[in-house]
Amino acid sequence: MTATPLPRSRLSAPPALGPERPVAWPRRTVHTLGNGLQVVLAELRSFPKISAELFFRSGNAAAADRAPGLADMTATVVRTGTVSRPSNRIEQDLRRMGAELGTSAGADTSAISVSGVAEFSAGLLELMGDLARNAVFPAEEFERERRQRLEELRIERKTPGFLANERLRRVLFGAHPYAIIAPTESQVEALRRENLVEFYREHYVPSNALLVMVGDFSSERILEQAEQVFGSWKAGPRPEAVAPQPPEIHGRRVHLVHLPGTVQTEVLLGNRAITRLHPDWKRLSLANSIYGGAFNSRLVSNIREQKGYTYSPRSGANSLRQQGYFSVHAAVRNDVVAATLTEIFYELDRMRSLPVGEEELADARNYMSGVFSLSVATQDGLLGQLSNVFLNQLPEDYLEKYRDGIRSLTAADVLAAARKYFDSANAQIVIVGDQEQIAEQAALFGPVESYNAS
Amino acid sequence: MPKLQIPVESTTLGNGLRVVVSPDRAAPFVTVGVYYQIGFRLEPRGRSGFAHLFEHMMFQGSENAGKMVHIRLINSSGGMLNGTTHYDLTNYFEAVPSNALERVLWLEADRMRALKVDDENLRNQRDVVKEEVRVNVLNQPYGGFPWLDLPPVAFRNWPNAHNFYGDFADLDAATLDDVQHFFKTYYAPNNAVLLILGDVDPGEGFSFAKRYFEDIPAGPLPPAVDASEPPPNEERRAEVEEKFGTLPALAIGYHAPARNTPDWRAAALLDRALHGGRAGRVYRSLVSERQIAVDTEGGLNYPVGDLFDYQGPALLVSRIFYRPEYSPDAAIAAYDEVIGEIREKGMDPGELEQVKVKFQADYYSMLESGMGAYMPRFGLMHYLACFTLFDNEPRRINTTLDGFLAVTPDEVQAAAQKYLVPRNRAVLVRRPSVSGGAQ
Repeated sequence: MTATPLPRSRLSAPPALGPERPVAWPRRTVHTLGNGLQVVLAELRSFPKISAELFFRSGNAAAADRAPGLADMTATVVRTGTVSRPSNRIEQDLRRMGAELGTSAGADTSAISVSGVAEFSAGLLELMGDLARNAVFPAEEFERERRQRLEELRIERKTPGFLANERLRRVLFGAHPYAIIAPTESQVEALRRENLVEFYREHYVPSNALLVMVGDFSSERILEQAEQVFGSWKAGPRPEAVAPQPPEIHGRRVHLVHLPGTVQTEVLLGNRAITRLHPDWKRLSLANSIYGGAFNSRLVSNIREQKGYTYSPRSGANSLRQQGYFSVHAAVRNDVVAATLTEIFYELDRMRSLPVGEEELADARNYMSGVFSLSVATQDGLLGQLSNVFLNQLPEDYLEKYRDGIRSLTAADVLAAARKYFDSANAQIVIVGDQEQIAEQAALFGPVESYNAS
Repeated sequence: MPKLQIPVESTTLGNGLRVVVSPDRAAPFVTVGVYYQIGFRLEPRGRSGFAHLFEHMMFQGSENAGKMVHIRLINSSGGMLNGTTHYDLTNYFEAVPSNALERVLWLEADRMRALKVDDENLRNQRDVVKEEVRVNVLNQPYGGFPWLDLPPVAFRNWPNAHNFYGDFADLDAATLDDVQHFFKTYYAPNNAVLLILGDVDPGEGFSFAKRYFEDIPAGPLPPAVDASEPPPNEERRAEVEEKFGTLPALAIGYHAPARNTPDWRAAALLDRALHGGRAGRVYRSLVSERQIAVDTEGGLNYPVGDLFDYQGPALLVSRIFYRPEYSPDAAIAAYDEVIGEIREKGMDPGELEQVKVKFQADYYSMLESGMGAYMPRFGLMHYLACFTLFDNEPRRINTTLDGFLAVTPDEVQAAAQKYLVPRNRAVLVRRPSVSGGAQ
């Protein structure tokens, strides 16, 4: 123990921040195999475990014209059997290696992820390779997963948060595949096993793939193992897809989704904005943080801490590969829907009209910079950030430069971003709740279109 | 697998505050937690939901940091913060760049010393908590299932069986006097542990702890709560209505053996054999093979905690969503076949070995982050706190696995025969409204 210091605990002001220590970036290796598979490795040795994710740059948007949700269903069934391993064996192999497996698809990617104990990293890579190359899509597993998907969809379409997201995406993206976040029941019923096999053949190819792995390992060893597991995988053409443009949107509108029996109203509004490849991305991120992205933001202070309308209001800048959108969310009690929207728009317009003060700006820059650093301090967090860089083809030093980029932003940057991307005059307002209790309040904010939940 | 050697230093300040430091200087961050030994199990009778409401009040202002100041100071230091209420503990935690360590400690000490809140703050947070209950429970498919609706069926003693989120009438009845009284009763330094993890030297951590916390006066320890349960002697069953969801669901809770006993360790491995992912027996049988269920999960102290973060009576829970063409009795019968098999035959050594590897791997994962990907060492902090508050032995973090890895197939089967029996359980059916959804 060091010498007992003077008692300072009665100080009535918080201690100043000490000097900041630089972040030491983990050793990183980037390598592309002969067949086009890109491999990104980062050594983070805090615990004897690893996380790895094999991405394919094709998701539900890639097959939206054929079958909404096809990438999703392909990813669901891909883990249920390979040429040499039936489903049961896959699950037991995972347990034997102390591992978790996840297979999923979003709008733009399909992914096979594992996390497990470091000493089994070779076996886990081998299993990933087996799923990526040799999946057989057993008919009975497909049928079972399809029935499960139908049951899930029925529940999702009674879930306020899901319904709000589904409606907002439809309104913002129209004919673009990003309009669809989940298939209808009849679309799931129409899926055939052959559709999955075809999607797998076309999109699960090395030229379309990225392997990111983080954890306690030697990169040289892993590269050798990756070469063994994936090197002989035959290169296929990289699939291309062209999507229709989303609609022009003029004027504020309300989209009311009627869900009977609700005791709270889900409010979600938004407008199209930009992707993280856009030069304004950091400006928008900072403006969002000040508006409603942090606990210490204007939106949370207003409608939660002052008015008590809601528990967890938040805003977000969302980036998909081709398009981005800005959104604001709050689940509020039924009698304050209009009051909530009034405050949401008041705060948006304040961001659009007046520059933020220097103190608020400095606080927000520190917040974004610090939370970013925390997000690369865990294996899964670093894996997520590296994936963002390499899936979006951002500059390779993007992460290293991110904090300086945030710290250089000014009040003028924030104001400009808010004016461009907080498009309050054309915001599309989705509310999900009991029509009788909220329709009149909703109508104060624009023409109302009504929908039933299912 | 390598044996864990996580550095752990601990001391107790003059006022009884226990302090645990676990250094790792690789990255410039610290994770700080203050854990108080009060949770919803221990809250006063007639004040359901108060422990959680009170947790909200701890963010409303203290002697030198008024409303929103605490949150602003952490966020603007580049950090994140939260607080959560559990059965037997309430925690407040921050992850920040290490240059903000003193600031975090100052803030935590300020609110341990004196809460400065008014009626307006209380009204505000009562409204916020009601919306929290609505968004998490009342307005969601399967909200609160089964963490809120199984305990009243399984337990007979109020501390274990009441509405932990709070009846709205009880929340409305809470006064500012109740808030200050609760603070005096449960938030004394001698009823808490302070944890500092990450980029800190232990000597420096202890001297900061002294500087900011040691002159906070100790208080009388809170009155002991009798949370004991009478020995269960019959299966209890109940049914509740599901307003939104379209699938019927089932929760089965077996009274778990007491913590830190050989039976408890065997039950933990039994739990993983039953519920460990898709290789788990319940999923394999009910979802993969017989296709009666759509999804199954479970665990010891599931779903709002795990086997380490409670102290009183707990349940080993299975949660099953099953297809509507099956009756509850048919679903229970299928489940009982799985239970019957493990009771009669136990686990073979191969399965037990797999389960142990997975158990160990899950423990490592929990220590490394354990709360999404965004909070380094959350699980390490959480378990160090539990091992300190409940066992007075933070170093157990490095040794607790040994006991689980030593469990034998015979012990597993003996535990199955003793605990996985109908009279030791409660069964809850959540049945969708007749219309198949809210109308």
